[in-house]
Amino acid sequence: MSKADTSKNNAFLIDMTKCTGCRGCQVACKQWNQLEAEETEFFSGEGYQNPPAMSEYTFTRIKFRDYQKNGQNEFAFYKEMCMHCNEPACASVCPVGAFEKTAEGPVIYKAERCIGCRFCMIACPFGVPKYEWSKGLPLVKKCTGCYSRIKEGLQPACATACAMAIGYGPRDEMIKLAEQRLARYPDRYINKVYGKEEAGGTSVIYLTSLPFDELGFKAVTLRPLPGYTWQALRLVPGVFLSVGGGLSAFSWITHRRDRLKNEKQAELAEQGSVPSKEEQE
Amino acid sequence: MTAARRITNEVKSFHPFIKLLMLLVGVGVVASLLRFVYGLGATTNLNDTYPWGLWISFDVVTAVPLAAGAFTLGAIVHCFGIKKLEPLVRPAIVTGFLGYSLVSIGLLLDLGQPQRGWHVFRYWNVHSPMFEVSMCVAAYTTVLFLEFLSPVCEKFGLHLPLRLLRWIEMPLVVAAAAISTLHQSTLGTFFLIAVDKLHNLWYNPLLPLLFWISAICTGMCIIIIEASACHKWMGQPNEGTLLRTLAKIMPWTLGLYIFVRLFSLFALSDGPFFDRPVLTLLFFIELGFGFILPFFMFAQKSIRKNDRRRVIAACLVVFGLVLNRFNVSMFGMMDPNQIYYPSLIETLVTIGIIAGHILFFVLIARYFPIFEHHPETVDYSLPDQFRKIDSGEKSLETGTFPEGETVTGAR
Amino acid sequence: MTNHWIDIQHADVIMCIGSNPAENHPISFKYVEQAMDNGAKLISVDPRYTRTSSKADTYAQLRPGTDIAFIGGLINYVLKNGLFHREYVVNYTNAAFLVSEDFDFNDGIFSGYDAENFRYGKDTWAYQIGADGLPLRDDRLEHPRSVYQLMKQHYARYTPEKVCEITGTAIQDFMAVARTFAATGKPGKVATIMYAMGTTQHTHGTQNVRSYAMLQLLLGNIGLAGGGINALRGESNVQGSTDYAILYHILPGYLKVPTFDNKDLATYNAKWTPQTNDQQSANWWSNTPKYMASLLKAYWGDAATEKNDFCYDYLPKRSGNYSFIKLMERLQGGGFEGLVCMGTNPIVGGPDAGAIANGLDNLKWMVAADLWETETSVFWRRPGVDPQNISTEVFLLPAASSVEKEGSISNSGRWAQWRYKAVAPPGDAESDAFIVDQWVKNLKQLYAKEGVFPAPLTDLAWNYGDGHEPDIDLVARECNGQFTRDVVIKGKAFKKGQQVPSFAYLQADGSTTSGNWLYCNSYTEKGNMMQRRGLDDPSGMGFYHNWSWCWPVNRRVLYNRASVDLNGRPWNPKKPVISWNKLTRKWEGDVPDGGWVPMSEDGTKSPFIMIAEGYGRLFAAGLADGPLPEHYEPMESPVANAMTSQQSNPAVAIPGKIDNSGRYPYVGTTYRVSEHWQAGAMTRNLPWLVELVPDMFVEISEEMAAWKGLKNGDLVTVSSERGSIEARALVTARIKPLRVSGKLVEQVGLPWHFGFNGLATGGSANMLTTAVGCANTTIPEYKAFLCNIEKGGIQS
Ligand SMILES: Nc1nc2c(c(=O)[nH]1)N[C@H]1C(S)=C(S)[C@@H](COP(=O)(O)OP(=O)(O)OC[C@H]3O[C@@H](n4cnc5c(=O)[nH]c(N)nc54)[C@H](O)[C@@H]3O)O[C@H]1N2
Ligand SMILES: Nc1nc2c(c(=O)[nH]1)N[C@H]1C(S)=C(S)[C@@H](COP(=O)(O)OP(=O)(O)OC[C@H]3O[C@@H](n4cnc5c(=O)[nH]c(N)nc54)[C@H](O)[C@@H]3O)O[C@H]1N2
Ligand code: SF4
Ligand code: SF4
Ligand code: SF4
Ligand code: SF4
Ligand code: SF4
Ligand SMILES: [Mo]
Repeated sequence: MSKADTSKNNAFLIDMTKCTGCRGCQVACKQWNQLEAEETEFFSGEGYQNPPAMSEYTFTRIKFRDYQKNGQNEFAFYKEMCMHCNEPACASVCPVGAFEKTAEGPVIYKAERCIGCRFCMIACPFGVPKYEWSKGLPLVKKCTGCYSRIKEGLQPACATACAMAIGYGPRDEMIKLAEQRLARYPDRYINKVYGKEEAGGTSVIYLTSLPFDELGFKAVTLRPLPGYTWQALRLVPGVFLSVGGGLSAFSWITHRRDRLKNEKQAELAEQGSVPSKEEQE
Repeated sequence: MTAARRITNEVKSFHPFIKLLMLLVGVGVVASLLRFVYGLGATTNLNDTYPWGLWISFDVVTAVPLAAGAFTLGAIVHCFGIKKLEPLVRPAIVTGFLGYSLVSIGLLLDLGQPQRGWHVFRYWNVHSPMFEVSMCVAAYTTVLFLEFLSPVCEKFGLHLPLRLLRWIEMPLVVAAAAISTLHQSTLGTFFLIAVDKLHNLWYNPLLPLLFWISAICTGMCIIIIEASACHKWMGQPNEGTLLRTLAKIMPWTLGLYIFVRLFSLFALSDGPFFDRPVLTLLFFIELGFGFILPFFMFAQKSIRKNDRRRVIAACLVVFGLVLNRFNVSMFGMMDPNQIYYPSLIETLVTIGIIAGHILFFVLIARYFPIFEHHPETVDYSLPDQFRKIDSGEKSLETGTFPEGETVTGAR
Repeated sequence: MTNHWIDIQHADVIMCIGSNPAENHPISFKYVEQAMDNGAKLISVDPRYTRTSSKADTYAQLRPGTDIAFIGGLINYVLKNGLFHREYVVNYTNAAFLVSEDFDFNDGIFSGYDAENFRYGKDTWAYQIGADGLPLRDDRLEHPRSVYQLMKQHYARYTPEKVCEITGTAIQDFMAVARTFAATGKPGKVATIMYAMGTTQHTHGTQNVRSYAMLQLLLGNIGLAGGGINALRGESNVQGSTDYAILYHILPGYLKVPTFDNKDLATYNAKWTPQTNDQQSANWWSNTPKYMASLLKAYWGDAATEKNDFCYDYLPKRSGNYSFIKLMERLQGGGFEGLVCMGTNPIVGGPDAGAIANGLDNLKWMVAADLWETETSVFWRRPGVDPQNISTEVFLLPAASSVEKEGSISNSGRWAQWRYKAVAPPGDAESDAFIVDQWVKNLKQLYAKEGVFPAPLTDLAWNYGDGHEPDIDLVARECNGQFTRDVVIKGKAFKKGQQVPSFAYLQADGSTTSGNWLYCNSYTEKGNMMQRRGLDDPSGMGFYHNWSWCWPVNRRVLYNRASVDLNGRPWNPKKPVISWNKLTRKWEGDVPDGGWVPMSEDGTKSPFIMIAEGYGRLFAAGLADGPLPEHYEPMESPVANAMTSQQSNPAVAIPGKIDNSGRYPYVGTTYRVSEHWQAGAMTRNLPWLVELVPDMFVEISEEMAAWKGLKNGDLVTVSSERGSIEARALVTARIKPLRVSGKLVEQVGLPWHFGFNGLATGGSANMLTTAVGCANTTIPEYKAFLCNIEKGGIQS
C-alpha cells in the first residue's frame, strides 16, 4: 500500500492518567452523531460501565476497571474508539472501498458504497466497526473521527467535551507531547506510547499508568495490517498468468502428444496392429 | 394436459427423498425471507463479536473448495491429458456450477445490502481479498455456466453452440483452473488480516497456498464420493476404475498438503500453540483424521481398489477440509468467553442450500445428459442442427432410487 | 470559595475531603490535574474510593461524620510538631489572643450550655479585653489562656491512634496525609482544601468547615494562590442564589434578615453592625447601615425615605428557624395551604422524603415551575397512594432552561458571568423572571384592590420595562445600584441616575440604591462588567481580571493581604497574589483586599477585613455549637463517641424517627455520580444519561456481599427507621468495612438521584435519610445514617 505521510494527520492524544471516567465524551459523541441511547440494566461491566460494548449506537465508550492490586484499589478508565489507523485494515479489505483514510486523519466510511459484507469487522484489529443488526438492510457504523467537524476547523466532539484527557492535533506533535510527558513523569506512566507503532501506527494514541493489557487494550501487531493480505494478493496477477500460461503450455504439449499418438495409432491401425488399452493401474 | 398439470404429475412421480429435499429448500427460502424482514440481528446469532457465522464459514468458505472438483478434474483431463477420466468431468462441472451458484446465493443472503452486490464491479478495491474472490467467483460461475451449457445443448440438440462450446473448451478449462487457483487461495488470504484474532495453530502466511492445495484434494475426493453415490443410488455405471486412477493422485496432493502445513506451522508460525485445549483437540482431529489418516489410506493400493474404503478415505478428506475451514473461519477466532453457535434460521438456510444442491443435481441428472458422457460417442464434426443425439436419454428412465435408500451427507 | 477554580493549579497539595470533584465538578479537576502536572500531591479523604480517589497520590478512608476527628488529628500533628507557619499565625490569626478565664470545656461540653434547649449561652466564649478596649494577647503564644495554648490542649486529645479508632482510617494512611499536608506550613508551600457536601451535610457540618479553615490558617494557607478553603458549590448558580438570599436568614449580600425584635432600622443596625475598638481593623461589616439603606431604596424606590426608615417596616421579621427541615415539618402538620416549587424536587431531594411526600397531601394547591414533570409535581401519583384521595390542585408551569434565557450566573469562584439566550424556550415555557414578573404585577393589582397591608407590594419599585420579558439588563443595573440624586462622595461628583462605581460609595442616607451591595461594581457607567470576555492575564497567575466580574470589586482571591508578609512581600514569591511595590507605593497583582499599606507601616489594616477584630479566627465565638470544633457522632451511629460521653452535637435537639438500637447496623451515606443530576428530573429523562446509569444501586463491600450471599447486580432492600427502598447491589472493593472502636463497621453508599417518575425510575435514597440538620445551618444530615440491607426486593 502506498505510504502516505501521516505525521501531519490529526491525532488524538488520550492520557488515561488524566481521564476521570466522567463519560462526557461518550455522551458528546452520541449527541454530535445523534445516536440512539441503548437500553441498559444496572451496569455491564466493572464500576459504572455501560453500555456493554461499542455498537451501532455507541461509537466510543469508557471501559471501567475496578479491582484490587497489591491491596490497593485500582479504578481505571479506558476510552475505546476507532483508532484511525495510518494504514487501516478496514479500508484494505473492503471490496468496495467504503473506507478511506483522509488526509486530515479520520478514517471515514462511505455508507452509500457499502454492501454489508462485514469483512471490515473481521479485519479491524481493534474490533471497531459495528453493524446495524436490527435492520433488514444493515450498514456498518463506527466513529467518524468527527470528520464533519474537523473539516470546519472544529475539534472532535469527544475531545471538546473532555476537560483534560483528550488532546487533538498533528500526529507528530501529539507523539512528541506524549514522549515529553513520559520523560517528565517517568513514575506516572508505563513507558509506552500506544498507537505510535501499533498496527503500523494510529491516529489515536494513549498514555496510561497501568499495564495496557490490564486496562483491556488489545494486543496487536506492530506491522500495518494491510501488508499481511497484500503480500499474498500482490501475487495474484503473477499466479494467474503462470497458472494460465503453464496449463496452456501443458495442454498444448499433451494435445500434441495425443495428436502424434493418434496419428501413429492411425498409421499402425492401417498396418493392423492396434495395441490393447490396458488399465494403467 | 396443460403444462401445469404435467409438472404436477411429474413432481408427484418423484421419489420421496426428492420431495423431502424440496421441502427443505422451501423451508430454507422462507427462512431467508425472514432474515430480510426481521434483520440479521433477530434471525441469526451473529453479532459484533461474530460478524461472520455459519453462512460465511459453510456456505462460502467451505462450499467453494467442495466445488473444486470441476477445475481440478478439468485440468487433469484436459491439460494433463488423463483423458480416460473425462466421463467424470460433466458431473463435476454440474456440481461446481451448482456449488458456485449457491455460494453466490448464500453470500447475497449474508450481505447487508445484497441489492448493491454489483458495487463490487463498480468500486474496485484491488487490495481487498473479498474483491478478488467476488471477481473470480463471478468469472468462474460464468465459465462453469458455459461448460454446463454443453449437456443442455446436447439435450436439445443444438449443434452450432455445441460446436462453439467444444471449440472454447480448452481456453475455458485453462481459465477455470487459473481463476480457481486464485480464489481458492484468496479465501485463505481473507484470514491473513486476522493476524491478532486467528489462533496460531491456523494462522500462518501460507494460508492461501494451503487453502488451494486442500481445495484440490477435496475437489477430487468429492468426485470420488459423488460418482460412487450416483452409482449406488442413481443406477449410474460403476466408474470404479476411473476413480482408482484419481485416487492414485491423492497421496501426492495430500502429502504435499501435510508437508506444507507442518512446515508453515513449525517454521513460519509463533506460539503459543497448545494454550487452549479445545482448539488443540480440533487441530489434531482435523489434521489427523482429515489429512494424515486418508493420506495413508490412499497410499495403499488395496484401499484405492476397494470401492467402499476409497469412499471412506475420500469422506475423511472432505471432513478434514470442512473442519479446517470451520477452524480457520470460526473456531480458531472464537472468544472462549462468548461462544457462537448458529441460530435455527441460519441452520435452516444452510440446510436448504445443501438440500438445494442435491436436489438440483438430481434433477439435472434426471433431465440432462451428464453421465455416461463419453465424448468419443458424440460427433462434434457435423454442424447439423437437426441431428439428434440420443445420449443421456437413458438417465431419464434409470434415474430412480431404490426404495428405502437415502442419500446422506455426501454432495 | 476563597479562591477560584483556575487558582487550584497553583497548589502544592490538594486535599479533596468531603467532595468528589472528579465526578461532581469535572471541570475543576482540570486545574487539579494541572497542579499535579506541576508536581502537586493530591489527597482524597472519603468513605468511598471514588473517581477522585483514583487519581490521588494518597487516599484515606474515613467513616462518614468523622471529619472533625480526622482534621483534629492533623491539627494536633501540626501543633505538636511545630509545623505551623508562626509568623502568619501570630500576625494574622487570633492565636495570640487571650480567652476569658470563664471559658471552659468539659467532657464534650463547652461552658454556657443549656441542656434543656440544646443551646449555648456564649458569654464565656470571649477574649480577655484590656484597658484600651482591645483583646489581650501574647505574641509568644505561651500564655495558657491564649487561643493557641487552648487549641493545643484541646487537640492534644486527637492522637493518631484515637483519631483512627474513631474514623476507621488505616493509621499509615492518616500519617501519610498528615506528613504531606503539614509540609505546607512552610512559606513557599501551599495547600488547598476542596470540600463540598461530604463536609457540610452533617449535624456538625459547619464545624467540619471550621476545622478545615483552622488547619489552613495554622499552615498559613489562606489568602495565597493555590490555597484557601474552597467550597465547591453545587447547582450551577447556587453561589448566585445565596449571594441573592435564597436562605431564610439572609438578605442579598448576606445582610441579616431582621428578627422580630429589630423593631426599627436603628435597632436593626445596632444589632447587626459589628463594633471594634481596634483602629487597625477594617471591620467591613461596619458598613451594614449603608448597605441596608441602599437595599431598601432599591426595593421601594421613591417610597423609601429617610423619614420612614426607608420602608424598613415593610420587611418581614423572622421569629424562628424557617429552614427547609422546619418548613417540611410544618407542611406535614398541615401548616400550609399552598406551595410553590420553583426548580426544586423535594420529595426526592429532601431528607426523610417519604414524610415530605405525605405532607404534600395536605395542600390545597401547588405550583411547580420546572423543566420537567418532577416527582414532586406528580406526588399524587406516587406508589402506594390512591390519587382519588388527594384533592390538591397542581399547576405545572413549564420553565425555560438556562440556555433559553439571559442573565448572570455566579460560579463557585464568585465570578458573575453573563449568559446569553441561545435558543427560544420550547412550547409554552417561560423564563422564571417572566413567571415572577407576572406574579408581582398581578399581586400588585390584587393587593391594591383588596390587600390587607398592600403597601409593601404596591410601593414596590418594579421597573423592568414593558416587554413580554422583564428587561434583565435593568435588573442587573439595579442590583449594582444607582445614585438617587446628585451627590459628592469622597470628593467625587455623581449625577442622579448614574451607576454607583463600587460599594465604597454606597450611602446610608438614601442617596444610593443597591440591590446587592456585594455586586456593586458589577454594572458601572462603563457597562455590564459581567459581560467582559477579556483573555489578558498580565500577571500570568490566571486572575483574568477582564473576564467577567467577580465579587467583591473584582478581587479574585479573598483575604489576599494575608498572602504577603508584614512588609508586603509575598510568602511565596513564585506565585504572588499581590505584592507591594515600594517605589510606586502601590499593590500589584490581584485587587488587594483593601488598598492599605503593608502591615509594618502606619495606617494599615489587618488582612481579615470581614472579621470585626481583623484576625483570622482559630477560636470563633459566633457559632452555635462551640468555638473549637469537637468530634461528635452523627445523630445515628453504630458506635459510642470515643472522645467524650457527649454522643451527638449538643446544640442539636434529638429528632424523632431515629434508631440507634442496633436494628440498623450499617452506616449509610448518600452521594452523587457524574452521570446524574440531583433529584434526577434533568438526567433521568435523558436517554443518553439513563443509558449510563439506568438503575438505583447501593455500593457494598465485598466482605458484606460474601456473608450476605450477594452477587453484583442482585436486588436488595435497604431500610432505615424512615423507610425502605429497593436497589441493585454494586459489590466493590472501593468501599470497605472499617475497624471502629474495636468493632468492624460496614458502610454502604447510595446515590440519591432516583425517584418514581420519569424515564429511569428507582428508589429514592432520601426515603432513608434523617430529617435533622446542622446546628448552625440546618443543612440535613444526608451523609450519615443507619440502615440495614437484605437480599431480595421489597416484595420478597
Ligand atoms: N454530576 C453531578 N454533579 C453535581 C451534582 C449532581 O447531582 N451531579 N450536584 C451538585 C451539587 S448541588 C452539589 S451540592 C455538589 C456536591 O458535590 P459533592 O459534595 O462532591 O457531592 P457528594 O457526592 O454528595 O459528596 C461527596 C463525597 O463525600 C463523601 N462523604 C460522605 N460522607 C462523608 C464524610 O463524613 N466525610 C467526608 N470527608 N466525606 C464524606 C461521599 O462519599 C462523596 O464521595 O455537586 C454538584 N455537582
Ligand atoms: N440524600 C441526599 N439528598 C440531598 C443531597 C445529598 O447529598 N444527599 N444533596 C442536597 C443538595 S446539595 C441539594 S442542592 C438539593 C437539591 O435539591 P433540588 O434542588 O430539589 O434538586 P434538583 O433536582 O436540582 O431540582 C432542580 C429542578 O429544577 C429544574 N430546573 C432546572 N433549570 C430550571 C430553570 O431554569 N427554571 C426552573 N424553574 N426550573 C429549573 C430541574 O428540572 C429540577 O427538577 O438536594 C439535596 N438532597
Ligand atoms: S470526557 Fe475525558 S475525562 Fe471524561 S471519560 Fe471521556 S476521556 Fe475520560
Ligand atoms: S481501528 Fe479498525 S476501523 Fe478504525 S481505522 Fe483502524 S482498522 Fe479501521
Ligand atoms: S461491510 Fe461494507 S464497509 Fe465493511 S468491508 Fe463490507 S462493504 Fe466494506
Ligand atoms: S471522534 Fe467523533 S465520532 Fe469519534 S468518538 Fe469522538 S465524538 Fe465520537
Ligand atoms: S456540568 Fe457544567 S458546571 Fe458542571 S463541571 Fe461540567 S461544565 Fe462545569
Ligand atoms: Mo447542592
